[in-house]
Amino acid sequence: MPTERQKKIRNFSIIAHIDHGKSTLADRILEYTRTVATRDMEAQLLDNMDLERERGITIKARAVKLDYHAPDGIDYTLNLIDTPGHVDFGYEVSRSLNACEGALLIVDSTQGVEAQTLANAYLAIDNNLEIVPVINKIDLPSADVEKVRGEIEDIIGIPADGCPAVSAKVGLNIDQVLDKIISDIPCPNGDENAPLRCLIFDSYYDSYLGVVVNIRVIEGTLRAGDRIKLMSTGAEFDIVDVGYLDAFGLKSGEFLSAGDVGYFTASIKSVGDTRVGDTVTLASDPASEPLPGFKEARPMVFAGIYPADGARYGDLKDALEKLQLNDAALTFEAETSAALGFGFRCGFLGLLHMEIIEERLEREFNLDLITTAPSVIYNIDLKNGEQVRIDNPSNYPNPDEIDTAYEPMVKASIITPPEYVGGLMELCQDRRGEFINMTYIDTDRAELHYNLPLNEIIYDFFDALKSRSKGYASLDYEMASYVPSKLVKLDILLNGDIVDALSFIVHEEKAYARARRICEKLKDNIPRQLFEVPIQAAIGGKVIARETVKAMRKDVLAKCYGGDITRKKKLLEKQKEGKKKMRQLGSVEVSPEAFMAVLKLGDED
Amino acid sequence: MGISMQKKKLGLYIHIPFCHSKCAYCDFYSQSNAGDELMQRYVDALRLQLEDYSAATRNYTVDTVFIGGGTPTVLPVKTMCELIGTITRCYNLSKDVEFTMEANPATVSLAALTKYRKLGVNRLSLGLQSANADELTALSRIHSTSDFEASFTAARKAGFDNINIDIMYGIPLQTAESFSNTLNYAASFDPEHISVYGLKIEDGTPFARMRETLILPDEDTEADMYLDCVSYLSVCGFRHYEISNFARPGCECRHNLKYWNCDEYLGFGCAAHSYFSNMRFSTKRDLMLFIDAMEADISRGGIMGNDGMGITESQLKNAQPIDEFYQLTPSERVGEYIMLRLRLCDGISSSEFESRFGINFDAVYGRRLQIYIDNGFMKYDGDRYAFTTKGMYVSNYILSTILDFDKDSRIVGGIADGSDKA
Repeated sequence: MPTERQKKIRNFSIIAHIDHGKSTLADRILEYTRTVATRDMEAQLLDNMDLERERGITIKARAVKLDYHAPDGIDYTLNLIDTPGHVDFGYEVSRSLNACEGALLIVDSTQGVEAQTLANAYLAIDNNLEIVPVINKIDLPSADVEKVRGEIEDIIGIPADGCPAVSAKVGLNIDQVLDKIISDIPCPNGDENAPLRCLIFDSYYDSYLGVVVNIRVIEGTLRAGDRIKLMSTGAEFDIVDVGYLDAFGLKSGEFLSAGDVGYFTASIKSVGDTRVGDTVTLASDPASEPLPGFKEARPMVFAGIYPADGARYGDLKDALEKLQLNDAALTFEAETSAALGFGFRCGFLGLLHMEIIEERLEREFNLDLITTAPSVIYNIDLKNGEQVRIDNPSNYPNPDEIDTAYEPMVKASIITPPEYVGGLMELCQDRRGEFINMTYIDTDRAELHYNLPLNEIIYDFFDALKSRSKGYASLDYEMASYVPSKLVKLDILLNGDIVDALSFIVHEEKAYARARRICEKLKDNIPRQLFEVPIQAAIGGKVIARETVKAMRKDVLAKCYGGDITRKKKLLEKQKEGKKKMRQLGSVEVSPEAFMAVLKLGDED
Repeated sequence: MGISMQKKKLGLYIHIPFCHSKCAYCDFYSQSNAGDELMQRYVDALRLQLEDYSAATRNYTVDTVFIGGGTPTVLPVKTMCELIGTITRCYNLSKDVEFTMEANPATVSLAALTKYRKLGVNRLSLGLQSANADELTALSRIHSTSDFEASFTAARKAGFDNINIDIMYGIPLQTAESFSNTLNYAASFDPEHISVYGLKIEDGTPFARMRETLILPDEDTEADMYLDCVSYLSVCGFRHYEISNFARPGCECRHNLKYWNCDEYLGFGCAAHSYFSNMRFSTKRDLMLFIDAMEADISRGGIMGNDGMGITESQLKNAQPIDEFYQLTPSERVGEYIMLRLRLCDGISSSEFESRFGINFDAVYGRRLQIYIDNGFMKYDGDRYAFTTKGMYVSNYILSTILDFDKDSRIVGGIADGSDKA
């Protein structure tokens, strides 16, 4: 039975497909509950990184406590737990949802139910959450509230009869949303006197406080001064401070009890110690069982990241260390490439995670980077009985040592208007997809299910999906199992030397086509040099494609115009500047642009 | 002038920015269809400038004059004569002065040429460009081969025994065969000098705007044309002495050699460049701006002063017609010398270099150049470093690897680079 205190608490998340208005609705709720005066609001307050604001996505979950004086006269505490909005962060989303009793499911009234709407709704249902659908963007002329209401009922299978239709942007009907939160979302329960069990749903590093851990107390009570234990590792810490977060920052309190959402600090040095999903208990009176569902976030996608200017290796290392303080899912280790010099092999949850890290490195740390083609982890059974995990094509064993190679698959769901189904099936087929089924959500939308190799998805799949559906198709995927696959390592040779940074793993059937395209692209992008440069693609020493960059024949200023020496100097100077940016690969000069062109080689090229 | 001393030598370049019509490839500053009145006003401004600068050059002997353009021969004869008169009146021309005038076929008459020859012009540069009618049309040249023939014959008749023919390659529609016909045609006139320029598509020209649709010989064809040209003209008895220039022995263009030897020259008129008193400077590009600035300056009493001691930075600073100017640092002088001297087939003599700059060329640059010598792009005879013919055609690439640039975005030699000092 909930206590009187618990009866006045509502813990909820907001879930949505990207761009359906999640952050804007959060802002309006904050504003409506007067947690933030309108004039103090910076648009989309919950997303506190510049990058998030620009991309309109939420990268890290955060919680905020709102005080709400409801029409029934009771003062409620609403804990809004914001969730990351991308498939890469699915696990983090599930932990955030676990901290709640309910979720607002936002659906854009002009777009309807999309792939991530569904995925997030199912995730919420799996976590036994009460779902409150909210139809957003009704201020737009193309809004079709009734149609979307029907979709929610038919596709997701939850009643949407009385669901609020709002415009978060202009602040319309926000009161109805709050009423629904109070009336539909259950209050928390849990024994305040039981052994402590708190769920970690987020943590971040603060240079003054150490790691700030966001938790939901499931059972028991946590106080400053308590000695706690993290159940996955057994590590123990002394609590320095407990409290909650409001829209302006951390507010210390005396304790957090079952049903509460808040934070603690305990002089913890690294977010690696406070993994999302772990259970916090008391060292003196530990719970017998941790909360279910803990998984260590494992990087799925790997790439080499190198400073464009080799002298900035140290800066890159510092930057990665700083980012890792706040991002336990980011891994990196030193790596050396003959082509690119010193850099790092970095592991990411997925492609978006990788893009975010790249952008933050470039923007916040002012680094110019060269990133190698992303790779996944391959499991390989060697003939000598050993098993190896390969995340870097350079370490791929020789073909004659390999018994069986396995590659990771994902279960993908694509929602698209029916007219693009043909093109998208072709795309999935081309990406070695295995068709599972297709269902019609309604006459306007079909849902395709495929098993796809992850290494085909990390390779510009999303761009191809968007371009083949004029931007209408949406994608969601979850990791599935490893399957045996005929993989080969393709090496690229310039002037007879292997360029390690350009090696990659590819399915046997696609090796020839890919090899040819890469050779052509390199030929188009490598400037003529003083000598002829052969470009070759090879599998285990066997050349399967070849192009040649012909020797430069002409680079001369025929005429010095009427004694205008300055002009010739400027020309040479420009040329010299261009040369400085070149990478020297053995005796061949390659521009970073050529590298990027090849590394980003798309399907449509 | 009491003390007798070895006078320094100076070249004069006079820019005539007028043409009958503008060629599609040309980005020299010029105006087409200018009226006689405007031409007269421009030449008046030019003459003011010539008079004005003359005081600063009292210690110089002028041994080359080059009237270029544009098409200088579109000036009315009377106007041109006044201009030549001012030059000869205001400057100490040496006895053996090389006095060149550029001319385009169909713009010169025997009478005019005879007059110019009498006034002291002794070298004529005729723009043939191509002997192929289609190519001439593509270049939007207004003359035909028969015009050229008539002009060349007239020039000889007028007494010009030093004539250059300009031809081009790498032009639209051109083939190896048509180019060799043009070469053949030019050589058949037995000129003293032939300049062979590869077409470069310059930004802002009609060619640049139609780049996509131009049918141009590719890089390899063009390089072959160049190599064929070099061997053909040497068989015909022309010495290849600069990337684009060929001459009968002793008939090299002394004025242009000044550019490549880093000798001093003054440029007059709009868009003209000077190298004088260790400064490089240029005049305003725009014709009207130049005229206005010149007239304004002269009405204030002239700019260059009358001290006869050269031109100073502060004079340039106050001179309205001046567009850009800068003083060369010692290392810039070295860099420019290398960049320009290597255009010459004789290249750079280590001993001359050392006596000019006090720097051991072998020690500073020898190692950088070795790889090019080993691969046949350059040659070294124990004193001289020079490009081979094949090397000349990729000389920008090589120069950009051996020259260093300082932060002021101008060229400097490699002496600042400690790594090569040992």
